[in-house]
Amino acid sequence: MARFSQEFTPLAADAIHEDAAARKADGWRYVQTLAVNTEDGIDLIYSYMRDGLLENRIVKALPPHATVPSVTDEFLAAFVFENEIHDLFGISFEGLAIDFGGNFYRVAQPEPMTIISPELKAAREKAAKLAAAKAAKAERAEKAGEAQAEFLAAHPEAKAAGTGAGKVLKPSDDEAVEAKLAGMDPEKVARVRAAIAAKAKKAAEAEQAAKDAELEAKLAAMDPEKAAKVRAAMEAKAARAAAAGAKEGE
Amino acid sequence: MGKATVIPFGPQHPVLPEPLHLDLVVEDEKVIEAIPQIGFVHRGLEKLVETRDYNQFIYVAERICGICAMGHSLGYAETVESLMGVEVPKRAQYLRVIWHELSRIHSHLLWLGLAADAFGFESMFMHCWRLRERVLDIFEKTTGGRVILSVVKVGGVVRDIDDAQMAEVIATLDGIVDDYTKIMNTLLTDASVKNRTVDVGYISHDEALALSMVGPFARASAVGYDVRSFGRGAYGDLSDFQPITDDGGDCFARVKVRCLEVLQSIEIVKELAAKIPVGDIEVAVKGAPAAGAQASNVLEQPRGECYYYARGNGTKNLERMRMRTPTSQNLAGMTKALAGCDLADVNMIILTIDPCISCTER
Repeated sequence: MARFSQEFTPLAADAIHEDAAARKADGWRYVQTLAVNTEDGIDLIYSYMRDGLLENRIVKALPPHATVPSVTDEFLAAFVFENEIHDLFGISFEGLAIDFGGNFYRVAQPEPMTIISPELKAAREKAAKLAAAKAAKAERAEKAGEAQAEFLAAHPEAKAAGTGAGKVLKPSDDEAVEAKLAGMDPEKVARVRAAIAAKAKKAAEAEQAAKDAELEAKLAAMDPEKAAKVRAAMEAKAARAAAAGAKEGE
Repeated sequence: MGKATVIPFGPQHPVLPEPLHLDLVVEDEKVIEAIPQIGFVHRGLEKLVETRDYNQFIYVAERICGICAMGHSLGYAETVESLMGVEVPKRAQYLRVIWHELSRIHSHLLWLGLAADAFGFESMFMHCWRLRERVLDIFEKTTGGRVILSVVKVGGVVRDIDDAQMAEVIATLDGIVDDYTKIMNTLLTDASVKNRTVDVGYISHDEALALSMVGPFARASAVGYDVRSFGRGAYGDLSDFQPITDDGGDCFARVKVRCLEVLQSIEIVKELAAKIPVGDIEVAVKGAPAAGAQASNVLEQPRGECYYYARGNGTKNLERMRMRTPTSQNLAGMTKALAGCDLADVNMIILTIDPCISCTER
């Protein structure tokens, strides 16, 4: 026996009957028809199965009270679903083999499945907000990336201003600033980033100077002989680092 | 040839456990055409998915029908798991199938009892339901419920069956087999049963295929389709599974297929109980189905293939949940089987599709 698999494929409204007839001829088994009430209209899904493949064919966004051809002349079993969809969703089927004329289900109000309940409305609004927030975040990230690339192209020194080899100096890690920059004029963004980089460079220099001063103070407090040894060791280390840098440069 | 007359049948009728109406067009004692009508117990349960989150809705799903409760909760959970890409632990898959097959046993025993009652074999009805009570006792011991089990959740099951309980389940089933075999042999050999069922409500193999019939109704017309043979979940670990079919195509063949399926389900439960692995019985499921994500699923309910469809909208509430039950798929076959039958056989034919109207209307 074949393994189970499923597919969702699109289907045009005017091809519903043609598709059903072709599938019957090809030995597909009719499984069901269902409707989904969406914001864009009513989706119809026709399901057929053959050799373990469950294929769901989706007719997208039919307008309210649309009429589509019935498939009951090909698959009589569909009369239950087509009558049900007519009563609950308001879609009409032309050529229905057993047509109950809207009396299949006894419902308190017509087309109850097309009523947008407060819960569904809230769920859809929440989903729309989440989708909008996600899209805006993606757009901001894209803009920030572009601005970063422009900035680095215009200011190659920013790349080397990091503390370690190969580390890129980022103008700012602050997300709020990034978000602000994403919405600004690119030229202005480049100027702001340059200012931020300059500020960061100045801060790094000041920090280095403070460290040097602290070290000098420590050495001054030491035994002069030991201090001379420490100075020699530091100079040798700096020379080795410079030699390694020069080698890398070659 | 007499004049054509329309006889209303149901929705309240001694043979029908649920409301189903038929307009029977008869000439003399022959039924020329049967037009079914439902709509007396539509509850709009699918609409409730908008007000219950996907974890809560499982309790609505299993209340669609008392007989198919386990199957609906399982089918719903599998569909949502497929929608969210959740992999259920192996032990949970085994436990689900064990309870589901026990449900099939109790559903078929219930149906055999109703069928026996329909052709006037009332003592057989009592014997079948007596055995069914023992299956319900298993449910009560292992889940705490007899009809609504509430053991399936999205991501696994909520209860385990320990080794001692499993041994008790097997012992109970072994005890049932002896009694059940006697009942089955009587049903399949008794002349009075055959008088009411052989050559009644015949559906050929080709007609069964053309009418898209499912379940034992189709398998009694030699259609070898059973969702269990796809080997999903614990069914994939069975040493051998072959759908039970019969080429009789009549009411007797449908009785026979269901009778043999009870024994088959007992064997499945025993095999899985012997093979069940140790491990977790659930995984944590977090988040919500993505907006626009959709999944479909099929499950072999006692009455046949049931189709499930779910679509997410990015929140905990699903945008749409749909169950297409086996009876709704078999109504077209039933009208075909009724055309040309004797008026006195109508109740027998309706019963042999094992209609479940609560499932159909939801």
